[in-house]
Amino acid sequence: MSKGYTLNELLIITCAKEIKDYQKVILGVGLPTTAGALAKALYAPHAILMMESGIIDFEPLVPLNHIADAHSCRGFSYSTDLFTTFTMTYRGFVDICFLGVGQVDRYGNVNTTCIGDYHHPTLRLTGSGGAPDFIAYAKKTVLTLRGGQFVEKLDYFTSAGHLSGGDSRERSGLFPKGSGPSMLLTTKGVFNFDPVTKEMYLARIHPGVTAEEIKKEIPWDLKIASDLSLTERPTDREIDFVRRFAPGESVGREMRTELSIQKVLNRAAEMKGTSA
Amino acid sequence: MGENGSKVMSAKEAVSRFINDGDEVIIGNYTVGTCMALVFEICRQHKNELTLYSQSGVLDVDILVNAGCVSRLVTTYVLRSGGKNGGGAVERALLSGSLEIEDYTNFDYNARLVAGMHGLNFIQVLEGVIPTDLFNRRGFLGENKYRVIECPYTGKQILTVPAVNPDVCIVHVQRADEFGNAQYWGAMGSVAAAALSSKRIILSCEEIVSRDVVRASPHFTIIPSFRVDALVQVPWGAHPTEVLGHYNMDSPFYGIFTNANTKADKARKWIEEWVYDCPDRESYLNHYITKFGIGALDQLRSKPFYSTPANYGAAFTSVWDENGRERAMGLTLKELEARLEERGLLYE
Repeated sequence: MSKGYTLNELLIITCAKEIKDYQKVILGVGLPTTAGALAKALYAPHAILMMESGIIDFEPLVPLNHIADAHSCRGFSYSTDLFTTFTMTYRGFVDICFLGVGQVDRYGNVNTTCIGDYHHPTLRLTGSGGAPDFIAYAKKTVLTLRGGQFVEKLDYFTSAGHLSGGDSRERSGLFPKGSGPSMLLTTKGVFNFDPVTKEMYLARIHPGVTAEEIKKEIPWDLKIASDLSLTERPTDREIDFVRRFAPGESVGREMRTELSIQKVLNRAAEMKGTSA
Repeated sequence: MGENGSKVMSAKEAVSRFINDGDEVIIGNYTVGTCMALVFEICRQHKNELTLYSQSGVLDVDILVNAGCVSRLVTTYVLRSGGKNGGGAVERALLSGSLEIEDYTNFDYNARLVAGMHGLNFIQVLEGVIPTDLFNRRGFLGENKYRVIECPYTGKQILTVPAVNPDVCIVHVQRADEFGNAQYWGAMGSVAAAALSSKRIILSCEEIVSRDVVRASPHFTIIPSFRVDALVQVPWGAHPTEVLGHYNMDSPFYGIFTNANTKADKARKWIEEWVYDCPDRESYLNHYITKFGIGALDQLRSKPFYSTPANYGAAFTSVWDENGRERAMGLTLKELEARLEERGLLYE
């Protein structure tokens, strides 16, 4: 029996396995940056990790705070600007990118801009960042959804997935052949896209989750793979890596924030004590 | 120039002289090392009706919006405080109608600056955004947010964005010489384009170094002196964000801000304590140290990891060799002058 893992650890490890050796990888904010570090350490030592801020070919030593975090490594191989990172992607030099999702529809179109009315939103999400540019031209895109939702119609259409399905993406003439989302990873399972209809279907479920539970969160009649399988259980080696490299990711944002604010407040209280 | 004939001045003087109400102001920094000291000063001087450009808003954008300085925002990304259940100043201002927004993708926003920096009218951008609401939904830029034109060479439909030349860029870098040659390294983002596209530049830096330091490392210079209007030396000028080679992000303190930012009244209190009640960055730092201890800052300080110096050397630095002979012709200056005389090439 191998050791217990947290849900975040499972997600990071599942994500990391999508990175193959020698690939050029764009890492988005959050979970993907840790996944990239894990892949580089365990499965894809020659992968070139890149961030849109122009930090190219880096090996993180500590978890990244964001996609412009040069403090996480000791130098890197190529320092360029954001403009060039995107034109490099446009020209087809990026194999895979990872993007977070606020809302997603059945064809992998994404909203990360707002919930509700655009001009007076109920929730203003972060905005597009570079997502629409990356999903357009990376050879392959992995979407990750943690706090987001599945919808029939996006409140705002930020990033183009498979448009209206079928060959609509290819027919538009706007995207390289074969590009677009290839997988969606959520806290409950892994979805892939049908090669013909381009509609997402449930391919794997995480341990302890049922397909029924997943269907409840999805407003359309979700298709399920005939060979539906269980998400691969992380090995001790993988769990150890994530927990040592990014313990804050292992425990999750809520617990991390709570504990670190507590630490600062304790310190401030101690200072008050000494000065009084 | 400042009153003493120098560009070096306080944040207070720089902001008061070079930023006007109603200006288009661009934050030059991208995600890291943001010019917090300058942002705070804009709040303290209650600049208003600004159109703010920010490639990627960290706490800078939310603080300016919270302080009521901004009426229009052009951006690609603004950090959301506290995830789904949180919020932030931008969200509150959009909801109340006090803020208008124009969303671009990272590339398209940056491309507008690149066009502006090079003096072009517009620039081609990546057409993959055409099916999305980025293209289809327009804010205050209306038809001029994006336009599609026919490529005169291939006949293909190409997507374009207009150039932008903001009135003033505020930007923080690691170091500069007293003339304003700005040196920056790390995540390059769109820092140079933001500064160089702007009409005026207010530069803040961690340290002012000698002209010789700059001349021996020109590859780090991203803004040349002649473009800079004001230079403010301000150590810890980007705190609580990070500056490579100087200090890391102050995550816990940042966390306290994002916590406060989720509610209007809490955000107001935070700004009062850290912005309005501290007349400058020095008093902000003193307040921080009183509250959290110098140890809290010390643990953020970078340990050095120096770039390998690049060799800018050449074979010689004078055309005259060690014997005083010109290297190509082999003569001394005196001999050369004699030859000129001989050949009648010297005029009286």
